[in-house]
Amino acid sequence: MNPSPPAPPLVRDLPPSINPKKTHVVRTFTIDDVPLTTCRIDPAGRYVVAAAENFHIYRWPLAGPQSARTVLHGHNSWVRSFDFSPDGQWLYSGGYDDRIGIWPLTDPTPSPQRMLVAHDGWVRWVRTSPDGRLLASCGNDNLLKIWDTSNWDLVRVFKGHQRYPYAVVFHPDGKRLASFDLMGVIKEWELSSGKVTRQWEAKFMWGFDKKFRADMGGARDMRFSPDGKYLAVAGLTEVTNAFAGTHKPMVLLMDWEKGEFRKKLRIDSRGMAWGIRFHPDGFLVGSGAPSGALWFWKPDEEKPFHTFKLTGGGRAIDLSPDGRQAAVAQIDRKLQIVQFTSKPA
Amino acid sequence: MQRDHGCHRIDHTLTRRGFMATGAAAGVAGLATPAVSQQLEKKQKRVLQVYLQGGVSQLESWDPKPGTLYGGPFRAIPTSVPGMHISELLPHTAQRMHLMSIVRGINLKTNSHHDGRLFMEMGRRSGRFPYVGSVAAKYLMPENAPLPGYLHVTTRGLTDHTNAFLDARYGQLKLAGPKIPPNLIRPKSVSADAAVRSRSLLKRLNQRFSGRGGQKTFTDSYNASFEMAEKLMARRDLFEGEPSGKDLDRYGRHPFGRNCLLARTLLENGGTVVKVTHHGYDTHAENFNFHLEQLGEFDKTFCMLLDDLQQSGMLESTLVMIYSEFGRTPKINVRYGRDHWGTAWSIALGGQGIVPGAIVGATNKKGTAVSEREVDGGHLFHTYFRALGIDSSSYHTLGGRSVPIGDPARQPIQELLA
Repeated sequence: MNPSPPAPPLVRDLPPSINPKKTHVVRTFTIDDVPLTTCRIDPAGRYVVAAAENFHIYRWPLAGPQSARTVLHGHNSWVRSFDFSPDGQWLYSGGYDDRIGIWPLTDPTPSPQRMLVAHDGWVRWVRTSPDGRLLASCGNDNLLKIWDTSNWDLVRVFKGHQRYPYAVVFHPDGKRLASFDLMGVIKEWELSSGKVTRQWEAKFMWGFDKKFRADMGGARDMRFSPDGKYLAVAGLTEVTNAFAGTHKPMVLLMDWEKGEFRKKLRIDSRGMAWGIRFHPDGFLVGSGAPSGALWFWKPDEEKPFHTFKLTGGGRAIDLSPDGRQAAVAQIDRKLQIVQFTSKPA
Repeated sequence: MQRDHGCHRIDHTLTRRGFMATGAAAGVAGLATPAVSQQLEKKQKRVLQVYLQGGVSQLESWDPKPGTLYGGPFRAIPTSVPGMHISELLPHTAQRMHLMSIVRGINLKTNSHHDGRLFMEMGRRSGRFPYVGSVAAKYLMPENAPLPGYLHVTTRGLTDHTNAFLDARYGQLKLAGPKIPPNLIRPKSVSADAAVRSRSLLKRLNQRFSGRGGQKTFTDSYNASFEMAEKLMARRDLFEGEPSGKDLDRYGRHPFGRNCLLARTLLENGGTVVKVTHHGYDTHAENFNFHLEQLGEFDKTFCMLLDDLQQSGMLESTLVMIYSEFGRTPKINVRYGRDHWGTAWSIALGGQGIVPGAIVGATNKKGTAVSEREVDGGHLFHTYFRALGIDSSSYHTLGGRSVPIGDPARQPIQELLA
């Protein structure tokens, strides 16, 4: 029997300044009353935005302070997903009120330039194309839609998912998209034609609860590696009681070029993986709930090489442009800014 | 009280053994008190129960509070009744709320599935009393009813001793969906004549057993079991054949759609009480995603059944109940779930004897407490029977003893009664 070929190297030696095992909290922003649902750091690294179990969006300067918080009003339901224009001037928000909010991010008190009725049902995800000219969205009408960000015309509608698509992302080449639905169906779409070019079924990230006759699955976060070779999907596995939330977190790492499931990154606890990012230094960092942790994986190892305990469940994570910090939206109403370096002496 | 001997297993199966193990007694009309009998109109009245098992969220159904602390992500939508709003998850129902009413101030003072279910079904917080369906079957089922009095279409089995001290013939008979119940066909090895002779022999043996001091309830159980089986065997046709494509398109091809089609068939063919259970509301995690799915399935299907009852003229003589064992917590937990909550929640009623388009009771702004017209399972129980024309302050007469039909400490919700 021939030995398996060695996996391609992904991890390079970390620069001395970045060390996940030195992760520590450098700043905490809070809101008053309800848990946070998601967060993002803008591409310029100036602002961090978060949404919550209310109708508001919160913006802080990444460097703080808490008192610099601005509340953005416009949605009539919870916001689940954010993205930005590449220059960081515009914030796009996908809401459970079926609408996409388009916000001038850097205005002193941003009000929506437009609230775009985008789907018949929740907008579950928004993602900007690499050149910023398009925005992809998916929603509870089982559709993917492509919008022209210059005038917000609807450019294309992609049909094919039979159940709710939970997330959609552009491939870094800008010519393809990937989407992931409730049942664990992953589709690759050709942007120009709207055709499905490849499809997989990650059934291990879905479960049918026989007792309650209900499906549980879907991506809670999805991200391509910067070189486009890999796709990471955060979610769940081993559903034994969907209605009690009895399942385990999992991050699927796909070799996108080969079209193979490369690794199932597992956590030995109950809960959900809500966030995943490829760090520019080659490791992956994810967030989970309800126990509240950041997990750090090397791409070729199924178990995390480091776990950082959070004060509350982590529902989303995003990295600062320089990779030194991350924002984590937590259930305990905190937006934590953590840093992957040693504390100053 | 020992009058429900052997009636347990019928809750689970429809096997011959199950029938044999079920209790019953003869003389349906004979056990109704004269006072109660006189209250019943000649026109048959029926009950349709749609049980949302596990505890549907009142905030995602009948009592939405969008934009409040615990309101969740869903919006409220207007209904066909001016000023009445319900969750956006019920768009079809919203267009038919002029046929229904909402009770928004229910406080059961329990968060237990078991206790909540019993309180909602028995009208008593404790003790062993017959369910709404069994009581309704006792007083509404005609003597020559072509079907068992209390039929429950469900895909799961819970052990419910629904008839309590009433005769077993008023106990629920569970049907596992629209497929033909097992063992309804006489074995080929037994001729029709042999079956009649066998049945006759059994009756004589039972009479002899009772006449010699044997416990009558045992033989009553067997007799009732055979009666139920015979009724179903005579109406096997109700379970045969596929619903029309048009009906399946309207009701949905999922199990709940097919179960509601069977409910319609049963009501149209002499069913007295038909209960359909829709499972999957015990949403301790992902409450919002699951309510999207579950109420998305419930909404149109229920409305098609409601439409058909209305168009056939049956709605005015059919009490319609949409209920659960409790609601769900206003507070959203760390799994996006809502937990058990019997403190401030809602149900919907319509049809026979119910004022349509009403809202009775209210909860506070956060939905954490009843703020107006608090009621519990006892009040609701009285209300169902007053709507059906039965004086629930009257008594079951049981072999010389009397048991109040409803809790004497509770009264009907008069505002809901037509």
